[in-house]
Amino acid sequence: MASTVIGAGITVEGEITTDEDVVVAGTVRGKLSAKESVTIEHGATVEADVAGGSLVVAGSLTGNVTANERVDLQAGARVIGNVKAARVTIADGAQFKGNVDMDV
Amino acid sequence: MAQARTTSSTSRTGDAGGARIGSAARVRGRIHGDGDLVVEGQVEGDLAIRGELTIAEGASVASESIEAQSVVVAGTLEGDVAATGTVRLVAGARVRGNLKGSAVSIEEGARFSGRLDCEFDLPAELGGASPRGEARGRAAQRR
Amino acid sequence: MAAHPSVIGRTTRVRGRITGEVDLDVQGFVDGEIAVGGDVTIDTQGMVGGGVRGRRLVIRGAVKGDLHGEEAIALEDGARVVGDVRAPRVAIAPGALVRGFVETGEGSGAEARTARAQPAARPAAAPPRVAPPAAKVHAGPAPSKPAEKAAPAAHASAGNNAATPAGPRRPPPPVVPALKKAKGQIAKKKER
Repeated sequence: MASTVIGAGITVEGEITTDEDVVVAGTVRGKLSAKESVTIEHGATVEADVAGGSLVVAGSLTGNVTANERVDLQAGARVIGNVKAARVTIADGAQFKGNVDMDV
Repeated sequence: MAQARTTSSTSRTGDAGGARIGSAARVRGRIHGDGDLVVEGQVEGDLAIRGELTIAEGASVASESIEAQSVVVAGTLEGDVAATGTVRLVAGARVRGNLKGSAVSIEEGARFSGRLDCEFDLPAELGGASPRGEARGRAAQRR
Repeated sequence: MAAHPSVIGRTTRVRGRITGEVDLDVQGFVDGEIAVGGDVTIDTQGMVGGGVRGRRLVIRGAVKGDLHGEEAIALEDGARVVGDVRAPRVAIAPGALVRGFVETGEGSGAEARTARAQPAARPAAAPPRVAPPAAKVHAGPAPSKPAEKAAPAAHASAGNNAATPAGPRRPPPPVVPALKKAKGQIAKKKER
């Protein structure tokens, strides 16, 4: 399936909305909302509220997160913000500060 | 040159094949008529022809106003062009002026400086037609 | 540049600015400016509501904004551009539609605009008419970079009225006296 890739050197300042998957390896400041999965790769910097079908975070994310299904914070992730999803996993080595709301 | 042999009173560039200004020729003045025109020499002056205008490699045209059905430029052109059909600049052309036509193409290697004005609308997300285009569109509808 | 271009997918909409030392492929809608160090491709369905700046631009979709290529710009069949187009090399394929100022060659940019804005000032730059061969006004500091072109034209065409676009848009005076702006060139006419 076609996806949107924000590569390592790229910076997007503004809002991103999409019906597809999104992979962020660069920098996004603003807002991000996808219907499918959102992957924030190691090295990425996201300063935005993020909404998606599901989220995998291995990079840096500052903002509130809402996912329909699940949010996975992997080792190396640094997340500051509230997370709301049906399922949330925080791997050993992930840094997280915020509320977790699994009441869906 | 603008008058080929013809029985009609209007100047014609010749019914069969049009006219040609050879490479050694220099014309100063207005050229108008039906048919095609191939310029291999030098022309200074306005052109208004109802066929295809070709400015060959090595040729040069300087004008305030060029009107033709279609235009192909391989040489040098300075002036504004208004074509009902297509305008094409081939590699090696050197053109300065504003070009207007149903479609304008510029081959890589052509040198150009000036405005292009094609009639078209942008998609709605980008605001539809440009302000200019909108005005033209309205005018066109009135016509 | 990045090994893989960044992609703005077909259903993606970005409202804001995109920058970076990357190649970018736009299949969706960017409502804002793009200024990257790499190559930019706007695909057939791609749309940009702002300027696009990059090294090499390939446009197959719609852009409302100015295009600036460090190396080259290619507008392909299906492109619709409302805005200025400037790059050392510009190719516009049949089927590409443009409304705006287009300039090829180095130095396309502010220089050219200045030259355009004050065609009357030009003669001041060059020795008053006459002597200098080449048609237009001067063979010297051509505003838009065909500078090297102006030089050969200068020699080759002493007295020859080759209408090289080495100067601002001023066609030499036809017989019609109506062309007020070309006063000085009447002298040139005489020297021939």
